[in-house]
Amino acid sequence: MFTGFHGMLRAAGLQVGVGEWLTLVDALDKGAVGPSLPEFYAVARALVCRDEGDYDRYDQAFAAYFQGVALPLPVQQAAQDWLEKPLQRPALSPEELAALEHLDLEQLRKLYEERLREQTERHDGGSRWIGTGGTSPFGQGGSHPTGMRVGEGAAGRGQAIATAKARRFRNYRSDVVLDTRQIAVAVRRLRRLERKSRRFELDLEQTIAATARNGGDIEIVEKPERRNQARVVLMLDSGGSMDPHARTVEAFFSAMKQGGGLREVEVYYFHNCPYGDLYTDMAMFQKKALEDVLRSVPPHTYLVMVGDGWMGPRELFSAYGAIEYGMADGVPGIERIEQIAAAFEKRVWLNPIPENYWGEATITAIAEQVPMFPLTVEGMVQAVGALMGRGDRRQKQERRSPWPEARDPDFDW
Amino acid sequence: MTADATLPGQKLPPLPRWTGTARYIADESLRSTVNVAVALGRPLLVKGEPGTGKTLLAQAIAEGLGLDLLTWHVKSTTRAQDGLYLYDTVARLNDSRFGDRDVRDIAQYIKLGPLGQAFERAANGERVVLLIDEVDKADLEFPNDLLHELDAMRFRIAETGREVVAGLRPIVVITSNAEKELPDAFLRRCVFHYIEFPDETMLTQICRVHHPDVDDKLLAIALRQFLRLRGVPDLRKKPSTSELIDWVSGLRLAGIDAEKLESTLPFVGVLLKQEKDTQRLGRGDWSRSAVTRR
Repeated sequence: MFTGFHGMLRAAGLQVGVGEWLTLVDALDKGAVGPSLPEFYAVARALVCRDEGDYDRYDQAFAAYFQGVALPLPVQQAAQDWLEKPLQRPALSPEELAALEHLDLEQLRKLYEERLREQTERHDGGSRWIGTGGTSPFGQGGSHPTGMRVGEGAAGRGQAIATAKARRFRNYRSDVVLDTRQIAVAVRRLRRLERKSRRFELDLEQTIAATARNGGDIEIVEKPERRNQARVVLMLDSGGSMDPHARTVEAFFSAMKQGGGLREVEVYYFHNCPYGDLYTDMAMFQKKALEDVLRSVPPHTYLVMVGDGWMGPRELFSAYGAIEYGMADGVPGIERIEQIAAAFEKRVWLNPIPENYWGEATITAIAEQVPMFPLTVEGMVQAVGALMGRGDRRQKQERRSPWPEARDPDFDW
Repeated sequence: MTADATLPGQKLPPLPRWTGTARYIADESLRSTVNVAVALGRPLLVKGEPGTGKTLLAQAIAEGLGLDLLTWHVKSTTRAQDGLYLYDTVARLNDSRFGDRDVRDIAQYIKLGPLGQAFERAANGERVVLLIDEVDKADLEFPNDLLHELDAMRFRIAETGREVVAGLRPIVVITSNAEKELPDAFLRRCVFHYIEFPDETMLTQICRVHHPDVDDKLLAIALRQFLRLRGVPDLRKKPSTSELIDWVSGLRLAGIDAEKLESTLPFVGVLLKQEKDTQRLGRGDWSRSAVTRR
């Protein structure tokens, strides 16, 4: 019965297992569903969707099965997924940029549709397929002069002449959800339970013991509640190169703030690299001197820094290396990071760039001071483990930079 | 796992189809969903914008089916155990010294929570509606802790060894504001419904229920202004149905006539609760700016 519909639901990307399907059959069997299509629509939706984010996919599958509307090309959705996590784009010289072919909008549309039909997997950093960080006319965060941006990520060269329109239901969809629940569960392991609360609870054992000693006269004994005493200082890079990772950082941030049950979370922002001042707002108007921040940190505070750590070596290794006007600092960024590292015994750095690109000079230098973990659910679990003193259990993997200049020690910056 | 409204050995009294109540207007998909959840004996998980009547739904179901309603308001400190029963050790300790009750009888110090009561009444052959309100407020593991009891429909009171077995499944309505994501295993066992924001026709119906004698013209204009306000981009908190109903009461009490409402937006504080939102509208003339925004 309607098994085709089941297949269609799965083709649309809904996770309808046998269990869900049998429940639906059961509901029909019991006569709980009236003999009308709208009612079947509502009931089936209630049983196979788990979130309003699924409604859009359900609608597509329903229309496809009952009204013969073609399912949107499955490739499109996959393409959207590849684009959610962009690769960093290598800088191109003006000559290289000029060499890329310029296309008008009409040509571009045609080509896009052709590629969609042909492309079957993720591509990053290339020049032909739909992907990220490349020089193909299609994709995200790329460097083609008249390219077409696919999806809603961050702009690369900011010259996309058209953005492939997403369907109108997309605002309910949540493919992108980097599971905040999983992160929150990870963050919850960050705890120092101590009986230090001002709220008291009944100490049953002591009360009974004291009452017994008292010859049966009740003596109530109270003790402070166990509370999580963990404090965390978060330092977030809000620089431009972090824009593509904004959603991941947001998910992490909210999990930290809400789900963690931490005693206190202090948040500071920096641009590329922390210098003499940190900022207490994302717009970077409210300064706070790094020294003041470090001085006021209570003992046993955990430090979590989030940033790509990717910058020109000057910005990290030279005095007055800050590229932003007004941030000039006579102390090189790396020394500032050393100061920070010295102030926090327990510290981690979460990096949104995939681990195999961490060979970059600036990233390696930072990782020596602050143990670095990838900003993924798995990475966060490991980072929390490291903060709790379980050490770094990751297997070392080879790290090398994909950019020739970083590998070449004689390269002239 | 087959979820059946009747557990072995029990006869299910047939329940009428639920069709909403005079005070609660439900659209067709919500009605079907409620009936299917009742028939399958599965918890109904309701999400939706604040103020779209998630909590009222449980009341309306109880009223419509002629059943009692038990409510369990979940707070950040609520544990799953609290819903089943509490053992009042302090009272027992106190009684051992000062009371005249027989302290050897532990059962009298066991107080059933809302879930426990629902099970107990079901064990006596009485169906109730149980509302678990704002399940996402509690600890992350809270929904998981509920799973076993909701599945097995039974629990054991460790202190007395008594087992409460619900003979038939109570109708469980769970609301969530999506503050936290719910675990997958929990979602799999629920019938899910997202209450969409009602359209203009339904809003008119809803207002009519609460204000049966409101002037047609006033209601039409109030609704138009309200929907326009909801359409303003980047509002931090969009006004909801319950706020609309309050607003219409305010307009009527103050005797504001329809013409005046065309150009002004009185009592905006009833609709907008965030200072930033009010400031947004404060800039420039409301009616003109709203028109250009469209």
